[in-house]
Amino acid sequence: MTYPRLVARNLLRHPLRTVLTTTSIALSIFLVCAVLTLPGALDAILAHWSSDVRITVHHKAGLTYWLPYAFLAKLRNLPHVAAVNHYSWFGGIYDEPKNMFPNFAVDPETVAQMWPDYGIDPGALERFRKVRNAALVGEQTMSKFGWRIGQEITLKGTVFPVDLTFQIVGVIPAASGNPVVLWFNYRYLSEAMEPRFGTALAGPTGVVGMIWLRADSPAHVGEIMRTVDELFRNSEAEVAAETEKSFIQSFTSTFEGLIHVILAVGFLVVLAVVLIAANTSAMGVRERLPEIAVLKSLGFRRRPILAVLLAESTLQGLVGGLLGAGAAWIILGALNRAGKTAGGAFLGPLGSFHMSPTVAAEGVAVALAVGLVAGAVPAWNGARLNVVEALRRLF
Amino acid sequence: MIEVRDVSRVYQRGVDLVHALEHVTLHIPAGRFVALMGPSGSGKSTLLNLLAGLDRPDTGEVVVAGQPLSRLDEDGLAAWRARHVGLVFQFYNLLPVLSAVENVELPLLLTTLARAERRRRAEIALAAVGLADRARHRPQQLSGGEQQRVAIARAIVTDPDLLVADEPTGDLDARSAVEVLTLLRELNRAFDKTVVMVTHDPRAERFVDEVMRLDKGVLVDGGRP
Amino acid sequence: MPLPLRYNLRNVAVRRWTSAFTAGGIALVVAVTMLLAALVGGLKHMLIATGEPDNLIVLRKGSTNDGSSFLPRDAAQVVRQLVGVARGLGGEPLASAEIVNQPFLRTREGRRENVLVRGVDPVALLVHRSVRLVAGRMFRPNLGEVVVGTGIAARYAGARLGSRIEFGRRAWTVVGIFDSGGTAFDSEIWADVADVQDDTRRPGYSGIRVTVAPGADRDALVRRIEADGRFTLEAKPERAYYREQADSANALYVLVLTLAAVMATGATFGAVNTMYAAVAGRTPEIGTLRAIGFGRTAILLAFLTESLLLAAGGLLAGLFLAAVAMLAINTLLSGIAFSMMTFSVATVLLRPTAGGALLAVGFALAIGLFGGLAPAWRAAHLRVVDALHRA
Repeated sequence: MTYPRLVARNLLRHPLRTVLTTTSIALSIFLVCAVLTLPGALDAILAHWSSDVRITVHHKAGLTYWLPYAFLAKLRNLPHVAAVNHYSWFGGIYDEPKNMFPNFAVDPETVAQMWPDYGIDPGALERFRKVRNAALVGEQTMSKFGWRIGQEITLKGTVFPVDLTFQIVGVIPAASGNPVVLWFNYRYLSEAMEPRFGTALAGPTGVVGMIWLRADSPAHVGEIMRTVDELFRNSEAEVAAETEKSFIQSFTSTFEGLIHVILAVGFLVVLAVVLIAANTSAMGVRERLPEIAVLKSLGFRRRPILAVLLAESTLQGLVGGLLGAGAAWIILGALNRAGKTAGGAFLGPLGSFHMSPTVAAEGVAVALAVGLVAGAVPAWNGARLNVVEALRRLF
Repeated sequence: MIEVRDVSRVYQRGVDLVHALEHVTLHIPAGRFVALMGPSGSGKSTLLNLLAGLDRPDTGEVVVAGQPLSRLDEDGLAAWRARHVGLVFQFYNLLPVLSAVENVELPLLLTTLARAERRRRAEIALAAVGLADRARHRPQQLSGGEQQRVAIARAIVTDPDLLVADEPTGDLDARSAVEVLTLLRELNRAFDKTVVMVTHDPRAERFVDEVMRLDKGVLVDGGRP
Repeated sequence: MPLPLRYNLRNVAVRRWTSAFTAGGIALVVAVTMLLAALVGGLKHMLIATGEPDNLIVLRKGSTNDGSSFLPRDAAQVVRQLVGVARGLGGEPLASAEIVNQPFLRTREGRRENVLVRGVDPVALLVHRSVRLVAGRMFRPNLGEVVVGTGIAARYAGARLGSRIEFGRRAWTVVGIFDSGGTAFDSEIWADVADVQDDTRRPGYSGIRVTVAPGADRDALVRRIEADGRFTLEAKPERAYYREQADSANALYVLVLTLAAVMATGATFGAVNTMYAAVAGRTPEIGTLRAIGFGRTAILLAFLTESLLLAAGGLLAGLFLAAVAMLAINTLLSGIAFSMMTFSVATVLLRPTAGGALLAVGFALAIGLFGGLAPAWRAAHLRVVDALHRA
């Protein structure tokens, strides 16, 4: 006989009840984990996707306002600027309108210098520079559409009235934090546009969507941003320079309202399971009051009794939490790999439901808390039971 | 061994005050087997609770084995019970989820004994009540008499000075009742335990050293030093 | 002979805390189901109800939305003159050539968001008939005046009647507020088309909204629009255009359903526990009732009724909770902001739907029924003698 054994025996007293309670905790922790992936994704994007040396430069009025291509040359020569690249939103769709995903025309020459942290294969970068219609594709998009390296795919342009066929030459790893994007050579787009519309994107009359800068050290980021803002003040296109982090934040902050709702729902789910578990644990204690009285009469003090009762509910919480988080890990992981995570269109970059170990740990912690909270009041009542009162009913 | 000095106990039942004990004074020497008898509501269970350190008197003092119980707080009382008192109840009150030997071992959880030693002592106690072969049985697999003997084993496993039994034969058939009474007498004789037993059972008188009678909260017979 | 309902009610009332906790769990399932369904409902309503049934949207072929479409001025001129386009009282064609832009706006909290700005001519109010000015007046051309939707007025700094609002390359004066009945237009700013063309330096249009003349053949008009070889246009019913965007909300519905169903399963388990405990605690009572002569069916129904009573209590509490939460979100937060496919922000008001309510009622009933069934069955099949013996 040991205390753990006593706890185990008590849990097996009503096996069905224990199983049902543990399962309902597991179910809600599953939901909680799924819900927690949303702010988790937000944090992950901010933590991984944003480097502390990248700066975005875009038109002050908005992202639909183009910047003159000529700005690039002026920025390239600024002190402490290590690399310059640019983004033009192509808005290409694959097959059907619902298959919209971010695809950008970029400058292949400086991809390696601008995004060295992305871990793109050097061979792929080399081909990206050499092949005129080459494309680098994010890992998640590759698996979503079942694309392979070397495959030719056609995107229907929406912003630009041309359809472009790309050859996939490499993958942007998921670890880059930018796993859905497609990049291609802006010259390819420019060449496709020029004969039909008479406008080249490159060159003195061309435009770009926005410009990327890379500072040689984080210490110079503020200085560069001030210089850039000043450089184009009162020009044909006033710009705003900001860090990659704040740029991304301005997108993701749009989701905050929705995330608050979803987190509130997660809270309600937890509240519901606390009610359920607390009820079970109260029933268990109530039925066992005579036994608890016997334990007390044998000389057991409050603390071990409290501990045994609390251990029961906490253990159920722990097991439920491990089951729920484990199931979430497996199921969300499988859905992710199959590229089937729903709601992507409305949850945007947050809808990936990628479950991090942190989320799993949080799920288990919530479950433990559920067990503890649910068991607290009944266990306390059980532990401070008046022996004489309880025994009087027995004698 | 046991000194009860001018003890009164009143409690509330609904709107009424019940005077369970009124100015009771008694003395029980060590090694004595005492039966507390009296009609329902005479206060004998209340008295037993006070002797076992389960309850406190409103006035007066209970001293057991030299220990004034009023000096102990709630946890102190619990610790004292664990060391000095063995309890036997009318309905056995074994934990249904534990086997016989585990039930006996339960009070030893409160000691610092190693696991193997706890189990050894529990088995000895169970053998002492003649149930060595029923060690792995659950309470519901045992007869009433057997359950009560397991409960007695649980009461003696810590080697207490005082055994307190509340109607130990109240729920038993005639044969089991005699077996239980015989067992208590043997424990009293062989190990020199003080035994105080509340009972209605007229057979009990043959087994005990002394009978004390209570009526309406007053000691009417026995207990004089 | 069934047991009286009062017996069930008393029993539920006696187990006060257990009943309250179980019903509370059910209430939360109901509330969450209602709230999420209302969120999706509001979203779908916003998109589905947007647009007029007899309107066409004309975009450049291949464009999925008017944010990425571009038409030259001539195209609008051609479409206006086509046979089958409705005419206003003054004989003007009901064809609204529009330019759409998504500049940054500052929210009241100071955050930067993309907002949809629509440059229109006054004819727009005749084409978009759901849009009504509820305060102020329509803008005048070339003065930098704008009218804003109700969703905009609640969310962005300076979007009040008579105040100045900054976006694009300049500041604008808000001269009116319009309401389109909870549709997507409520999250838009409307300005003079020439002003927006000037601001974006884009001389053309994004698209044209055309009202089909009463009695005219819509499909024939679509063919005439698409037949013009110079501009490669594509026309589709305005309703269908918004509904396509609403389809992506279905994925969200699947999510909501999954979440609610999983939660309901958990609550069912809680109810099963409660009811089993009730049966165990009242075993002698059941024995007595059976001994008196109540049949198995009576006992079964009694426990099932109790379980359903708990569910009903939870349902009522949950509906109340959901109603309060919806009211709070819609009035205090002025709805939930979504970032749409087009990247502009739209504010959605929660909208209780019949489907959501049915779902919630269904969940509550299912919890009551499945939670009570097995325990009630056990109660009904206890052996009378055993049950009495436990007394």
